[in-house]
Amino acid sequence: MKKAIGLALAILTTSVVAAGAQGGQKVAAASTASVSCNSTLKIALVTPLTGGAGFLGNEQSSWAKYAVKTLAKPLGLKVKLVLGDTPVEQGPAPAQSLAQKYVADKSVVAIIGPSTSGAVAASSTTYGQAGIAHISPSATRTSLTQGTTKEATPAFFRVVPGDYIQGPTDAHYMIDKLKANKVVLLDFQEPYSVGLADAVEAVLKKGGVSTTRLSAPNTTTDYSAYVTKVPNDADIVFFPTQKPGDAQTFAQQLIEKGKKAKVFGGDGSNGPAEFKVPGSYVSNFAPDITGIPADKAIVAGWKKDNGGKAVGSFGPPTYGAVQVALQAIKKACIKGNGTIKAKRDVLRQVKSVRIPNWILGGSFRFSTKTNDPLNAKFYIFQIQSNGSYKLVG
Amino acid sequence: MDTFIQLTVDGLTLGSVYALIALGYTLVYGVLKLLNFAHGDVFMVGSFIGFGALQALGGTASPMVPVWLLLVLVTGAAMAGCAGLGIVIERFAYRPLRDAPRIAPLISALGVSFFLANSMQLLVGAEPRNYDIFTLDNGSLYLKGIDIGNVRVPLLRIITISSAFVLMVFLWILVNRTRTGKAMRATSFDREAAAMMGINIDRVIVFTFALSGALAGAAGVMFALRVPTLVSIGFVAGLKGFTAAVIGGIGSIPGAMAGGLILGFAESYTQGYITTKWSDLIVFSILILFMLFRPQGLLGRADIRKV
Repeated sequence: MKKAIGLALAILTTSVVAAGAQGGQKVAAASTASVSCNSTLKIALVTPLTGGAGFLGNEQSSWAKYAVKTLAKPLGLKVKLVLGDTPVEQGPAPAQSLAQKYVADKSVVAIIGPSTSGAVAASSTTYGQAGIAHISPSATRTSLTQGTTKEATPAFFRVVPGDYIQGPTDAHYMIDKLKANKVVLLDFQEPYSVGLADAVEAVLKKGGVSTTRLSAPNTTTDYSAYVTKVPNDADIVFFPTQKPGDAQTFAQQLIEKGKKAKVFGGDGSNGPAEFKVPGSYVSNFAPDITGIPADKAIVAGWKKDNGGKAVGSFGPPTYGAVQVALQAIKKACIKGNGTIKAKRDVLRQVKSVRIPNWILGGSFRFSTKTNDPLNAKFYIFQIQSNGSYKLVG
Repeated sequence: MDTFIQLTVDGLTLGSVYALIALGYTLVYGVLKLLNFAHGDVFMVGSFIGFGALQALGGTASPMVPVWLLLVLVTGAAMAGCAGLGIVIERFAYRPLRDAPRIAPLISALGVSFFLANSMQLLVGAEPRNYDIFTLDNGSLYLKGIDIGNVRVPLLRIITISSAFVLMVFLWILVNRTRTGKAMRATSFDREAAAMMGINIDRVIVFTFALSGALAGAAGVMFALRVPTLVSIGFVAGLKGFTAAVIGGIGSIPGAMAGGLILGFAESYTQGYITTKWSDLIVFSILILFMLFRPQGLLGRADIRKV
């Protein structure tokens, strides 16, 4: 009996190892398999489509679909957009498994995303090893592209600036414009908020502002006890959530408990439909593109496809990321005489993409030193009494 | 002192919602010896039914009825909807497995949990839904209240806490002072003997699921009155409710109430006085300590079996 169990275990182990090796070969084969530029190529959008940040993925997917629909054909490409869901509540696992799936699919030639910093950190090595360009429209953590221990591989790009700009921008606004003396910073024990809160806190401390740091699990829904800990004389609570509804709850609970502090959210809190407590602040990497004359046709076209929905801040950079990916694919096709010999061919072209009429205004190119956009900046908005976001800095 | 009062009110609000969820677990366990892991998702569905009812009544910006009636109707709709859902779940997911090994209904419960979460996502989408009570009656439910020292206890919290306690008292009277309650207790004690005494077991079980669902519906609304609801909240809420039921002694109604309040206070005081970072760790450590040193819970009875 023991022998039989031992034999079964040995067979099972061998099968698992063999299957793993075969999977590895498949991945290697997929990343070097050539695809014709006349065939339908796939780009995958990796974003939270469900969960507390589901609004982000839904907004991004609508813009990615619109970008593929309007931009691929003029470039002579047949492109299909596929969607991958990475709910923020589930941590890094969904991003890892999606990366393995897309690496193994020879028709997936570029990734739009991952949208969140945690998902990038979890999957960039897989994409990097397979030579797949992954271009994020919203992952802002500084250490993804900068510093001595980068969390992302050189195959990672982003079309929005990182927290190395957002953190100081937010902190300087609090010091210079809001004259803050006491700031409470709350992080959510995940890479995006911890990194951003660290960046803001460092500048505030340097500027002589008194800071208090709180930390909440990412699954927190009721912030009562955290609000209780906010000192009565605190001016601002920096609240870098990825769920704008939570920023709304927190701001309401501050009022409920008679605290005078205003909520200041990062780009993840930027959701006019959900976060609308007047007097609060949010920062974002994108201006309101409805005010850019060159974007008029794009905005009208997108609205037509999306039932007249309001334009948010996460969608337009996604359109931009798709535009960069399509340009890189086109360049790779030209260089390969109508064939993409390996996924790495697209990756090699990303850095050289130039877009003269960038959706966020001005022109676009990547920095020569990092895979970040050149000369990008963050914007500060204040929520008005009618719930609208007014650009204030 | 102000901080203590504030944290106590926070703990009481949180604990009363946990207690209502725990009561649902404990009722079903008491009668069927089944851990109904779909209960957290019934709670989630309740919060969405409440949201739907609120919108149907004009929303918080322009309600068609007075505020008090609006709250009663919204809660009533969620309770009725979830009671119905409880009956459907019992009929299709648990009744066919009533005589199967105990693991079978447990797996079925997990299946129902996933089914409810994913169906709701298909139905209403992944975005959070905010009751936006802040805009109701110019924010009076948030801004008016009772002052204890320097601390204001807002009306919304008073309503949440008092409604939960009214429901708990009602449940206690129902179980201990009515014929239906006697039938439930008899079924819980010995199902076969109860059947031989002429008690309609099926009816008792259906009623238990309806009652459990109604409590989850009420808890869902009380929760969502203060924070946005999501299709994914059922898991965490269910886990907290289950923990409260175990701490109090699963199967014991006063135990579930006590367990919910203990959990609420533990969470609130931990976040207020010890750490915000590791509050869940400390709260769930309490569960482990109970499992190690008092597995029957605070008010539960040890399951003694003669060999």
